[in-house]
Amino acid sequence: MGERMDKAKTISKDAFKEFIGRLLENFQVIAPVRREGKVFYDLVSHPNEVMIEYKGHTLLPPKRFFFPEKEILFTYELVNDEVIIYDKCEELEGLKRVLIGARACDIKGLEYLDKVFIGEYHNPYYKVRRENTLIIGLTCNEPMDYCFCAHTGSGPRIESGYDLLLTDLGDYYLVDVGSEEGEKILKYNIDIFKDASEEDLQAKEKILSNVEARIREDPFPDLDKMYDSLIKNFNAELWEKYGERCLACGKCNFVCPTCRCFDIYDDPNLDLKSGRRIMVWDSCHFLSFTRVAGGLVFRKERPSRIKQRVYHKYCYSIDEIGSISCTGCGRCIDVCPASIDIREIVREVVKL
Amino acid sequence: MKNPYIPKLAVIEDMREEAPGIRTFRLKLKEGGGLDFNPGQFIELTVFGYGEAPFSISSSPLLKDFFELTIRKIGTLTSALFKLNKGNTVGIRGPFGNGWPIEKMKGMNVLMVGGGIGIAPLKPVIEYIIANREDYNNVILLYGARTPSDIVFKKELEKWSKPIEIHLTVDIGDETWRGRTGVVTVLFDEIEVNPKETYAIQCGPPIMMHFVTKKLIELGFPEDRILFSLERLMKCGMGFCGHCMISGKFVCRDGPVFDYGQVKNFLEIAV
Repeated sequence: MGERMDKAKTISKDAFKEFIGRLLENFQVIAPVRREGKVFYDLVSHPNEVMIEYKGHTLLPPKRFFFPEKEILFTYELVNDEVIIYDKCEELEGLKRVLIGARACDIKGLEYLDKVFIGEYHNPYYKVRRENTLIIGLTCNEPMDYCFCAHTGSGPRIESGYDLLLTDLGDYYLVDVGSEEGEKILKYNIDIFKDASEEDLQAKEKILSNVEARIREDPFPDLDKMYDSLIKNFNAELWEKYGERCLACGKCNFVCPTCRCFDIYDDPNLDLKSGRRIMVWDSCHFLSFTRVAGGLVFRKERPSRIKQRVYHKYCYSIDEIGSISCTGCGRCIDVCPASIDIREIVREVVKL
Repeated sequence: MKNPYIPKLAVIEDMREEAPGIRTFRLKLKEGGGLDFNPGQFIELTVFGYGEAPFSISSSPLLKDFFELTIRKIGTLTSALFKLNKGNTVGIRGPFGNGWPIEKMKGMNVLMVGGGIGIAPLKPVIEYIIANREDYNNVILLYGARTPSDIVFKKELEKWSKPIEIHLTVDIGDETWRGRTGVVTVLFDEIEVNPKETYAIQCGPPIMMHFVTKKLIELGFPEDRILFSLERLMKCGMGFCGHCMISGKFVCRDGPVFDYGQVKNFLEIAV
């Protein structure tokens, strides 16, 4: 085994572009890009497309590059009485990708999804993408109004889940190494990296302390109390209030880094002899979500559906994966057309 | 790495009408034979072009050459299934879920309560019990259907009436019906059960299970011996898709069989 490079590095912003260019020679690169005033993650083909210095978060988390909104599970072909199935997961073999610019909350979101999708049962499409994607994270210099990661234990500091982690220090990035893969990539490109100084590390610490302090200015209940509070207050009146406001549009689910509910359906081709089996994102806010054959719907009223999302995040997940499954990214707060703020719900429940 | 989303192919070997709109399909896996399953487990059935839906297995777990599903034509997928012929190919994933605790029930009395098509997941356990009759004490089946012609497994019910005690009722009788009318709970006045030594297992519409459970509690059944098979929209069968979640439990993975002790503590009302 070679000497471990546990010392952090730095890279100038110009050299970082060069680094992205080199990555593009060997990997598919997913990075934040700006389109129509919004920042998205997308596949890029040139370093100049990358918009790494974005504020807040991207419109959607990187979830869709691992668990896409529409996954073709397989295609099928009916030939006389035979059916031939072509497993689309096999096409993912040989994938080599780098995700650049993922925030702490989004990295944590992927770690939550790992606990769901990679276990006794597994989602092989997700798993193969996870195993073949390097993550170059990016810490936050400044929180947005909707950010509350410091309260949910998912930022602004992050200790795992990345191969390399960037911190913006003005003209250059501090680069922390989080895995052997990350270390390897640094070694291959060592000519454009420099050793970080003690001051660089202190600068990072100062930025993160500042972000954390600013998020903590806005008080939030102790998450340990939430589980019991939620169990006690399942029939509280506040759910009616939020149910009345909620438009059941499902936006909060689709922007959430940890919402993972899906539907499965067949999309036949016009010949009706072939088609595709598709896994598609679904929303617990939709009336159809609990509809069984014959038309019976188990969560008919909106309060019951808004509860399902809040309870899954803060209560059921504790039994399911051992922790809450909210990363405090605040996207659901940012996009809700009814201005429902999950932080307010939590504060109200704990007060009851 | 095995992909759990790829169904195994199965051929429709035979089918028979059980009642208007209810048909039993006999399936054989193309790779050969039936399924290893516990009574009460379910599978995801693919009708290619129409998707997948969950169905209980309705044949005896002791039959190894094939397995059967008893299905009511009720939606798009089941309508498409009913148009298929012998020799056509469908897809199967599973079995999924826990099933009835047939081992724990040994040495005990068993009271089974079924409503409508809800008798389908009870059939494997009835057939298992009959095949191992000396392992179980008094075994009673209470079964309610909408009308006499809606009664499924008519032939089997006749056959089963020797080894086990069977009581039937229909919601609405006809000119030939000499039996009881009324919901399935009316049958409780015909039977004698010792609640201390009996497992009660039930499957039917939520409203039926609600009233049967009330009755069982009244009779003094312990909470952990009042069992249900719950119906939800199990899409993936593996606890991922979220549709079948009740109060943090996945019906597909943690169920579909739950006892009243568990269901009572659910935050959401399950039955």
